[in-house]
Amino acid sequence: MQRTLSAVLDELIPARDEEIPGAGSLGIGAFVETQLGDASSLAASGLTALDARARDRGAADFADLPTEERAPLLDEVAAQHPGFVESLFFHACMGYYQNPAVVTALGLEPRPPHPDGYELEPGDLGLLADVRKSGKLYRDV
Amino acid sequence: MSEEPVDVLIIGAGAAGAAMAWSLAETRMRIVCLEQGGWMNPAEYPTTRSDWEMDRLGAFGLSPNGRGRREDYPVNDSESPIKISNFNAVGGSTILYAAHFPRLHPSDFRVKTLDGVADDWPIDYTSLEPWYDLNARMMGVAGLAGDPAYPPKELPLPPVPLGKLGETLARGFNRLGWHWWPSDSAIATRDYEGRAACINLGPCIIGCAQGAKGSTDVTYWPVAIREGVELRTHCRVREITVDENGMASGATYIDEEGIEHQQPAEIVVVACNGVGTPRLLLNSRSDRFPDGLANSSGLVGRNLMFHPYAMVTGIFDERLEGYKGPTGCSIISQEFYETDSTRGFLRGYSFEMLRGMGPISTALFGLSSRRLPWGADHHAAYEDIWDRTAGMVVICEDLPEPENRVTLDPELTDADGIPAPKIQYRLSDNSRKMLDHAAARGIEVLESAGAKETRVEAPLPPAGWHLMGTARMGRDPASSVVDPFGRSHDVKNLFIVDGSVFVTAGGVNPTNTIQAIALYVADHMKKNLDQLFD
Repeated sequence: MQRTLSAVLDELIPARDEEIPGAGSLGIGAFVETQLGDASSLAASGLTALDARARDRGAADFADLPTEERAPLLDEVAAQHPGFVESLFFHACMGYYQNPAVVTALGLEPRPPHPDGYELEPGDLGLLADVRKSGKLYRDV
Repeated sequence: MSEEPVDVLIIGAGAAGAAMAWSLAETRMRIVCLEQGGWMNPAEYPTTRSDWEMDRLGAFGLSPNGRGRREDYPVNDSESPIKISNFNAVGGSTILYAAHFPRLHPSDFRVKTLDGVADDWPIDYTSLEPWYDLNARMMGVAGLAGDPAYPPKELPLPPVPLGKLGETLARGFNRLGWHWWPSDSAIATRDYEGRAACINLGPCIIGCAQGAKGSTDVTYWPVAIREGVELRTHCRVREITVDENGMASGATYIDEEGIEHQQPAEIVVVACNGVGTPRLLLNSRSDRFPDGLANSSGLVGRNLMFHPYAMVTGIFDERLEGYKGPTGCSIISQEFYETDSTRGFLRGYSFEMLRGMGPISTALFGLSSRRLPWGADHHAAYEDIWDRTAGMVVICEDLPEPENRVTLDPELTDADGIPAPKIQYRLSDNSRKMLDHAAARGIEVLESAGAKETRVEAPLPPAGWHLMGTARMGRDPASSVVDPFGRSHDVKNLFIVDGSVFVTAGGVNPTNTIQAIALYVADHMKKNLDQLFD
């Protein structure tokens, strides 16, 4: 089932570029499995259905299908198992967007915000010139 | 188990309880504060971990119903479009607040006289002004003098940085000729009174690991404890007890081990805010006070006010570096704060600018706004929004209505079996019109700043963090719960000093005013100790 999950995650969040493969190949599957909670039986039945449909087409399982056949089949099964793809995709995003390689590709350092923090430009308070001229904005009582 | 009697018992160690405890400490009275939560450890806050954004959905989420912490109490808010957001710990909800720290306007205390709605407060801006000033020093407030939206005020710290995002939005306001100003922020922008300076971690609303944000566990409490106040944590008060003369005699509380204690006190101060305070008073029933303590007016729990929020988010072409810097503190606009009846509603609102989002929050925004698909188009769609969002929340003034209220839920209880609060709340026509107006103006200013696309959410469901009005202040015991000095009309040694005493809500975040009221009430108590119960 992990093999199928990984192949599905690669469809949901495909390779970003040559550096970063799809979410499944990146290893997000393990994270998704820990996060599914109540949705795990829904996920299991969806993945089982994907493999069964793949076998109908002569493949060993979903991951064995030619790549161009995977997305259309996923669409079909998604329609028959409402919430299946949505919950996998949600958790895939949560895992993917904290992965160090992905975070680095977004232009961030792969570290927690604390303790190094970030430099931030103070900004130009000269932009307040017109506001300062506007006169009192509060009412007298 | 009966405890040693004390002079003053304060219930709740949040924004108001901390200020009250610190102020009274100089009297050398014996003061005990009971808090149902514990001390937080900033070294364990989420931003010290790489998966920090996940905690916004769990242990540091907004709703007490979703965090799974024993220290919290559940709230039945299923009958309200706005859900309760609070936190129970030393520091209370200041642990999670954004530290956006404006004052009320002078006109906010005179809404009946000026605009013919609700009621005037029995106190005014001038009464609170010295306490706002003192609170600014104690909480460490950053800001810039000269804001034309306020009477002159002095703040001890320089303003939070605008950053590229703040400048972008400021230019949008300037093009329209609308007011904006760097936000008053309870954030140490320099090292201040033992607190390290802000290092722009970003998400102040999941606890400040740097200790730069002014939550009361790092501002008032260390000083109050040094001055001799005793703070007992993990102690949940079940009820305030009364004696045969109808005076408060103390409180019954349950400690961490489930053991019940009776704490006798000469003076009881309630500081549990707009939901916790009416809950406690309604749970304090006796033969003498069958409808709950201090409730002869029937107004305990009534007139609940939130600030109905709208969130307006814009998507820009350029990267804005919005993941850096205090989430909720950059600039404020009060262009539409004071009443203008030609707008079709009375009273007004503030715009509080929001900075951007981290990678996971960006994905969540993409998912909830249905612009982040799975499959081949995923990365392009994500790139469109990553570090390219900026926006604002709109803080609309709510008006008091008796039907909006806190009662006790007939079934729901906390972990100690104490009845939990239930919220009944309906958005008024005035609020809806204000939200519509504000959302349209919000879109206008974001477009003026260069947003190519905008999204509005109004009312914002999880925004029930400002809890006011449920034990209102007034001169007439028939139409208010406490007098102009925070003392209960019915029980002469019972004081209330939190958001529940607000007569009206204004259109700004209330914490600064909550604390100013606590300091003002404490000052009056100190000056009148010999005749406090007359």
